[in-house]
Amino acid sequence: MLSIRNLGVRIDNKLILQGINLEVAAGEVHAIMGPNGSGKSTLAQTLAGHPDYQVSQGQVLYQGQDLLSLNVEQRAAAGIFLAFQYPVEIPGVSNIQFLKSALNCQRKQRGEPELDALDFITDVKQKMRQMQIDEALLYRGTNEGFSGGEKKSNEILQLLVLQPQLAILDETDSGLDIDALKRVAAGVNAFRSPERALILVTHYQRLLQYLVPDRVHVLQNGRIIRSGGAELALELEQQGYTTDTPSEDAPTQKREVPDDNG
Amino acid sequence: MRDDNQLHAAVVELVALENAEIKYATVQNWYPGDQHGNGGIFNFVTKRGLCAGAHSKISWTQVETGSAITWKYPSVILKGDYSVGEFYSVALTNNYQQADTGTKMTHLGKHTRSTIISKGISAGHGQNSYRGLVKVGAKASDSRNHSQCDSLLLGDTCGAHTLPYIEVSHPMAQVEHEATTTKISDDQLFYCQQRGIDTEAAVAMLVSGFCKEVFHKLPMEFAVEAQALMEISLEGAIG
Repeated sequence: MLSIRNLGVRIDNKLILQGINLEVAAGEVHAIMGPNGSGKSTLAQTLAGHPDYQVSQGQVLYQGQDLLSLNVEQRAAAGIFLAFQYPVEIPGVSNIQFLKSALNCQRKQRGEPELDALDFITDVKQKMRQMQIDEALLYRGTNEGFSGGEKKSNEILQLLVLQPQLAILDETDSGLDIDALKRVAAGVNAFRSPERALILVTHYQRLLQYLVPDRVHVLQNGRIIRSGGAELALELEQQGYTTDTPSEDAPTQKREVPDDNG
Repeated sequence: MRDDNQLHAAVVELVALENAEIKYATVQNWYPGDQHGNGGIFNFVTKRGLCAGAHSKISWTQVETGSAITWKYPSVILKGDYSVGEFYSVALTNNYQQADTGTKMTHLGKHTRSTIISKGISAGHGQNSYRGLVKVGAKASDSRNHSQCDSLLLGDTCGAHTLPYIEVSHPMAQVEHEATTTKISDDQLFYCQQRGIDTEAAVAMLVSGFCKEVFHKLPMEFAVEAQALMEISLEGAIG
């Protein structure tokens, strides 16, 4: 489904990713782990097409097409979904309006008809019950004044409604208490299918207890330094990221600040 | 042929007697001139209201998307005790349009109340000014006003200006003024785009969210119309 070859990415002329190679097949779950500043979020943002991240080398194929030649909304319509580490507030635009607009814009790009309003609302409400999200959130401004936990749950609700092919979850577990984490994980598990793939970007092993990955990759200093099965996450939890290369321990930049307002 | 300017001058006067309530809503899309600022209507309008009786109410709602230049200050004289004046406005300027609009709320009676919500959106080289006067007379005891002026800037060649005048002659009056200036952030745009919403649709959605409090004051069929007009007027404003 996704094939990343020798990907290099710069931001503000600073090289963040230095030759990433990654193959993700349909039905698989891959976890990307690593310390702060290792480039995990950069990889997620680059795949989604954030304009601040400039690709300096390499190639990304998604379902056989050149992903990097598509703009952000084309990638979304092609089935790429990014659950944001910090979901953005859209004041005055209700959650339901935002969801409907997103779904219909994607359908329009794919040449599909707009969804019937009643079918849409029935589907959304059923998924909210599944995620145990209060229906009142539908009529509030998108993410406006939501708690950290509500924002993360809302991202997963969008995932379930939009039904993408490849979901990238950027630290969706950060800032969640244990109950919220279980709800989020259950939502993501409901999304899994043999046709879909999932990339989990995370610091911690705890999410992976509920969402067992097929492959775990360790990103450090812009490179994947180790790959393994689910057991690698446990090993990292016990030994830390830096047992092999203690000299490179010091995080060079801290773009990823843990969110603690869950 | 349409390089000349035309003048539109209208006078609207409202009088509300005891317990009467008047709501007056306008959606205006006169020809704004071309993208270089040639031609267009000069929309210089007088709108004023008198709450003559006790417990009367006058509410002005306006959506201004057209005209090369708009000067318009729908006003209310709150003469009757316990009378209420409201002004809800959305003004959008694109290309070289100018909108200078606001209200005058003159509190004369006791326990009079007024609410002002003004939303200005500027794009291109558009200029938007809110110009308003809240005046509380010496006999208008226990009067209250709340004003909120929000400006949204699209791009770096437009302007927003807020000129509130407040004159209070009674010690028991309560007058509040809030003003904000915002822009659509790159993060908001990226978030919308990542969900599949293209730039133009995202801007229209974010702008309508910004105007929501005022659109809610419009009659339903007007609100739909106003929303569609905003989208047309914003075409090509970002991108």
